[in-house]
Amino acid sequence: MTTRRCEAGTLELGAGLEVLVSASLATLRDGDLLDVVVDSRSSSIELPAWARRAGHDVADERREGDAFVVTLRARPPTAIAAGPALVASTFPTSELRRLAGPEPREADPAVGLVPLGALPEPSPSSYDWALSSRDRIWTDKLASLADRAARAQWDASRDIPWEAVVGLRPDVERGVAQVMTYIAQNEYAAYYVPARYLGQVNPEYVEVLMWLASHVHDEACHVEVFTKRALAGGQRAYALAATELSLQTLLDERDFGAAALLLNVLGEGTFLDLLSFVSQHGPDAATATAARLAHQDERRHVQFGIAHIRHRLAHDPDERQRLVAAVEGRAAKLVSLDGLSPLVGESLVLMAARSAQPADIGDAGRAVRDLLGRMNRNRVRRLRAAGFDRATAEQLSELHTPNLM
Amino acid sequence: MSEQILVGAVAYHPRIVTIWERFRDYFAEAGVPTDYVLYSNYERLVDALLAGEVDIAWNTNTAYVAAEARIGGDARVLGMRDVDAEFRTVVAVRRGETFAELGELEGRRLALGSRDSGHAAILPLHWVREAGAEPELVRFDTDLGKHGDTGDSELRVVEAVARGDADAGALGDATWVALRGEGHPAVAELELAWRSPIYYHCNFTALPGFEDAAWSEALLAMSYDEPTLRPAMDLEGVKRWLPADKGGYATLTEAMREQGYLE
Repeated sequence: MTTRRCEAGTLELGAGLEVLVSASLATLRDGDLLDVVVDSRSSSIELPAWARRAGHDVADERREGDAFVVTLRARPPTAIAAGPALVASTFPTSELRRLAGPEPREADPAVGLVPLGALPEPSPSSYDWALSSRDRIWTDKLASLADRAARAQWDASRDIPWEAVVGLRPDVERGVAQVMTYIAQNEYAAYYVPARYLGQVNPEYVEVLMWLASHVHDEACHVEVFTKRALAGGQRAYALAATELSLQTLLDERDFGAAALLLNVLGEGTFLDLLSFVSQHGPDAATATAARLAHQDERRHVQFGIAHIRHRLAHDPDERQRLVAAVEGRAAKLVSLDGLSPLVGESLVLMAARSAQPADIGDAGRAVRDLLGRMNRNRVRRLRAAGFDRATAEQLSELHTPNLM
Repeated sequence: MSEQILVGAVAYHPRIVTIWERFRDYFAEAGVPTDYVLYSNYERLVDALLAGEVDIAWNTNTAYVAAEARIGGDARVLGMRDVDAEFRTVVAVRRGETFAELGELEGRRLALGSRDSGHAAILPLHWVREAGAEPELVRFDTDLGKHGDTGDSELRVVEAVARGDADAGALGDATWVALRGEGHPAVAELELAWRSPIYYHCNFTALPGFEDAAWSEALLAMSYDEPTLRPAMDLEGVKRWLPADKGGYATLTEAMREQGYLE
């Protein structure tokens, strides 16, 4: 046991005395003593009164010459974990768990808003977080995906060469406006789905919150950029009823994992091929750039979806059947859709055609048909990467909405 | 209902309802069904205890001493807060006007809280007179019947000293710490000149013959680490309940007798 000395001079309660004393006590080990030396009798009277109410033992009070000494006993200190192994001035999110401890399989559904690793004071919080089981929302890639998302943010107002949106033929501009409107309409669904789950995730799984927040932000940016491009050429295109119906069934899905499969793997996966096509065939640099930037973001979303479905399938043998049922259930609601909207298909052709000459229109038509074939092949590939066998992957791809999202 | 133990308390603040609603649930869970009745002042509460209207009174020290005198010395005390076991009165003065002995208040103006407050009036007056001084008293009887519980009269005491309407003022050390801690302007230019010995403050009082073991056990088992209890315990100003004894009321009993409160 040791005794430390704290020279408080003329400090008074309410003017720094308790701050200095608390800080000094925090550096002591359990059972150690702190001699607080104050100049005035007034402080020597009020310090013990404060200390008792703050939960500190007053071990002794005495005079030392003109000074007054109040001896306090330290309470057990709070354990502090070792600092992070930080290199190159960065603090990757993956380091968080090394400091705070591994993520639990089950989190307390009633836990309050407790930052990772913080020591919660007892409080009568009464939350009921719907998503409190790790394996219902997790993948080990979350931390790195969230960090990548933070680095890849872009600005739809400034990072697009908007000056390039001039001088397109009216029919081409009409096609571009329709494709852009169609994409924006679908991006709305990609916005609302993660936004809904954001409010249900247990605070313990902060990586999921970071990820979903970035996802929501990405989609807000996509809605913005495609809406701007749709309107930039002076045209107004249609928000399609068939798309509306398809997205409605996506928003109806209430299970996080099924939503990840339908949105991230199947929907956004299919959109990767669409956005590649637009960035390659877009008739102006603004359209192409918007599609290229959105494509970068969607790749992360698809990676998350594949990694999460893999995690689910690996941790729960019943998951495969549930996920297949979700895809089948959605397809059953969409039997009235029998293919990509002709308006979107024709607009893609107009947008991709080098000219209005029949040969160029024919080339563009073949490119769009190739795109639809590529979409199907890549969907199967992604489903297999997510952990489905070939037959199931082909079946699920076949059942995917003709609306693409 | 007749199975329940009935506790009486004084409604000196709306939070008393919050506190006792939670404590009532707690005692029910602990297997000692308890209900509460609120009175507007401690005199009515003590009357109710003596009339058998309530089984237990949550008394200030002044109310306890008054009840004990009427009961004849056989009252049961069932428990108190940790802070009740080490209460003190302090005397505040304007900065630089401190004194060495209470006796130096002779001929000065001493501000006191409500005259039925043990910590802010009865006890300090006792100690000042014991030191041989008879100061001019500046009294603030703003929460009579509440025995100083509201803190209002103590605030007026320090404001009077700060204004220069009194030369010194007596109040409980808990109130002083709270005012200092919140940086209240009334105490900014004051300092403490004196503090009293430790004495006891509130306790749960019952009539002789009250079977108190189960209730006291439940009281002492109340844990500040229980999240749903902590807010109510914070409002009551208790971190731990202690078994009560009668060892800390001798000076107050003497002071109340001298000042005519026990006639």
